[in-house]
Amino acid sequence: MNSSSAEGKRRQRFDSLVGVFHQDMYRFAAWLCRDKAIAEDVVQEALLRAWKSLDSLRDDAAAKHWLLTIVRRENARYFERRRLETVDIDNLTASQAALLAETPNGELDDLREAIFGLDDDYREPLVLQVLMGYSTNEIAEMMGLKQGAVLTRLHRARHKLKDSVEDA
Amino acid sequence: MTGEHDKDFEQYQALDLKIAKALQIDVPELRMPELPSVDTAKVSALPVRKRSMKPVWFAIAATVVLATSISLRTSGLFKSYDSLPEEILAHLDHEPGALQVTDVAISDERLVRAVPASMAVYDRGDALITYAQPCVINGHDVPHLVIQGQHGPVTILLMPSEGVAEAMPIDGDSVKGVILPFGKGSIAIIGDREELLEPIQKSVLSSVSWTA
Repeated sequence: MNSSSAEGKRRQRFDSLVGVFHQDMYRFAAWLCRDKAIAEDVVQEALLRAWKSLDSLRDDAAAKHWLLTIVRRENARYFERRRLETVDIDNLTASQAALLAETPNGELDDLREAIFGLDDDYREPLVLQVLMGYSTNEIAEMMGLKQGAVLTRLHRARHKLKDSVEDA
Repeated sequence: MTGEHDKDFEQYQALDLKIAKALQIDVPELRMPELPSVDTAKVSALPVRKRSMKPVWFAIAATVVLATSISLRTSGLFKSYDSLPEEILAHLDHEPGALQVTDVAISDERLVRAVPASMAVYDRGDALITYAQPCVINGHDVPHLVIQGQHGPVTILLMPSEGVAEAMPIDGDSVKGVILPFGKGSIAIIGDREELLEPIQKSVLSSVSWTA
């Protein structure tokens, strides 16, 4: 197989995986960093890194986990580089507010704002479980935690959101 | 006590449905970065990394339990399962005829017979459904459907009476899948190990609604 044909196949494989998982990558990044513009940057960096290391992905069935792990690392790198402050829910930038303002819907907006206001430690496992469909075991492995810690964080996250929904 | 537990579980599921909707923010159009050329001749694949979701002792214990269970089942002495994934895998073994590779779709009438309107509605859309049969799993009526995936038949089990708190993996010898929480019940989706199940899961979840 000549190199241009091999690269063509590589590109085809990459496009196909990204086509399936781009939405998950963006949503995960957006809920990690809580900023529309930063999420787009993080996804761009993640795509670049995924392209360079595509050959390390032996099994396409593991692609989602692989891509989300890259997004997670890129998000951490981004914040490490910029040394960004944590988000102040009462003083959002336009890009942060843009994330909450999409598809206006009363009850959903309140809940979205409550999720936005959760600590990173609670929000991330919740997104991984409810949006990405991971089990608590998988989340524990991804976040380097014990399963019990994940269960506790999930419980507390839901408890806080339940309170927010009831208060609203 | 059971009533209270059921009520808590329903509230938990209702909250999760709302959370899932809230998390589904709009996604901007894919903007692909400029990808550098990669010298594929120099690329060497990394060794396959086995996913170690569970400790080794768990795998050994699971193997022992599975082997014992299979031996008891084949001896005809015992017919119970330690878990829902295990019962589902056994069910698939008992209906091998469902897993034919074919492009012949079943009729709407047959689909409705397998998925009664009193239980659920399945919007078949453009999915190629090649098998539909009302079955019983764990003592509950379960519509058993098969669609054709990229790597062969993909089984879908609609389980309105099997609520699960979180996604449960299904890991068979030649198949893999997942049981996904869905409203008050759950949906199992199982395909070939090579099958990319994510897009199928999304499509199935958006096609089903419980009516009971």
